Amino acid sequence: MSELKRTQLYNAHLAAGATMVDFGGWEMPIQYPSGIVAEHLYTRKCCGIFDVSHMGRLLIEGPERLKFLQHVLTSNAAALTLNKAQYCIIPNENGGAVDDAYLYQFEEDRYLLVVNASNTDKDLAWFEPIVKNYDCKIRNISGETISIAVQGPESGKILAKLAGVEEVTEPARNNLSILDMEGHKVWVARTGYTGEPIGYEIFLKNEDADWIWNRLMELGAKPAGLGARDTLRMEAMLPLYGDEMGIDEEGNEMPIFGLALARFAVSFDECKGDFIGRKALEKQAAAQTAFREKRGTEADLVELPKRVRPIALKDRGVMRHGMEVFYQGEKVGYVTSATMIPYYKTEGEGAEAKLLEETGKRAIGIAFIRSDIPTNAEVEVDVRGKRLKAVIPLKHVANNVPPYVIPVIAQ
Amino acid sequence: MTIIPDLKYAKSHEWVKEEGGIATVGITDFAQDALGDVVFINLPEAGDEVVAGESFGDVESVKAVSDLVSPVSGIVKAVNEELIDAPEMLNSDPYGAWIIKVEQVTDREELLDADDYEALCAEEG
Repeated sequence: MSELKRTQLYNAHLAAGATMVDFGGWEMPIQYPSGIVAEHLYTRKCCGIFDVSHMGRLLIEGPERLKFLQHVLTSNAAALTLNKAQYCIIPNENGGAVDDAYLYQFEEDRYLLVVNASNTDKDLAWFEPIVKNYDCKIRNISGETISIAVQGPESGKILAKLAGVEEVTEPARNNLSILDMEGHKVWVARTGYTGEPIGYEIFLKNEDADWIWNRLMELGAKPAGLGARDTLRMEAMLPLYGDEMGIDEEGNEMPIFGLALARFAVSFDECKGDFIGRKALEKQAAAQTAFREKRGTEADLVELPKRVRPIALKDRGVMRHGMEVFYQGEKVGYVTSATMIPYYKTEGEGAEAKLLEETGKRAIGIAFIRSDIPTNAEVEVDVRGKRLKAVIPLKHVANNVPPYVIPVIAQ
Repeated sequence: MTIIPDLKYAKSHEWVKEEGGIATVGITDFAQDALGDVVFINLPEAGDEVVAGESFGDVESVKAVSDLVSPVSGIVKAVNEELIDAPEMLNSDPYGAWIIKVEQVTDREELLDADDYEALCAEEG
């Protein structure tokens, strides 16, 4: 067995009493002594910090960097201006996903592409024969830098305090800035994987790891592990490579347009030219639109057999990855990610919404099911031999108005 | 980690206390710590038969599901219904939050005393 890799914050995790696990070859904290539920709730109410240094950080440099990215990513990188970021997928020719990624332009002359930790080597191998045809280079800076996700309603204030500024980035998702925080250079992105309307991912040099981690905690942030990262992203319907994209339980490729957010991650702009997977993706996109407009046909089911949807259990129990889903007696797919997820009960809506002290929990998750199943459909889930009632809601949370994520409880 | 001196312990990390012909069963501090936040419990009903070494229900944490294994054979006299709405009591008070009480006990698993159980936990880390 090869030795597990450790991030610069390994000792900080141990000092905080973390339970460490093997995560894709990395020894990472799954939780701290407060536990996954408390870490999830603290992120929703205040500010959770997550060590995401294990993720792959690749710099794309050289004259033809944009041309290369337009060919290998689904997004329109030409639309990305300085100090902006965009979500994207690395597609294959069939319209399946090699990985998903985030593309950042912190500097005029290079792009930063952040990919999944366990896919970094695979992605580099995938790019290698392609990048040869372009006058540009990929530089893996994962080992020289760290990254921390600072997420939750208080995250902006905490970072602003460190930087001595009013706002750390322009006040909307996907904005970037490079700031001096107490003499340390910090690359700040208003992005994240928790669904929080206010959340940041920050990048620093290795030597600043302990300093930033300790300062964030002193200012009121609390560490959260991979367990809470998973429940937060599930509640917000954010896909995880391997569960909601990649290869499904039956060994078939999961179509990129099975994901609702493919609409924002895939661009068919003319300037992208004949990028990898374009033809397949165009067909999938048309089918997704048909299903969203409730006019999907048998032909659309061929192009897009299944889609990734929220699922909420109505009977008592807990859904888990791999459990089969039935609609009108027929097996239509399976649960890709689910568990029991905590939430704060709320009062009011939108910007007026308040989180109450009282908490609840709900058995919710994500399913990969036949594309024509309507929203609010009553389905059944095979929970270890028992058929339990569940529903396909529109969403699990409302998170378009800062500062809070508001749970939407399925009826 | 807490181990109570006068309880008996199953290797599958349940504790059992026998008093006046009634065996009270719960999960140990080691078990709740390994599970993490308990968020759901499936309980048997009073009158059900339980068999030593076999599952009588399950507990689910955020991370995983785990069988509850009965340390004794007998008939369920009572179940702790408070746990249905507050399974997190298994985390906060594992030796107070009993799960089932069993009567007409006919058989027992090989049970450990506190010292041997502590050694087992040390071994399993």
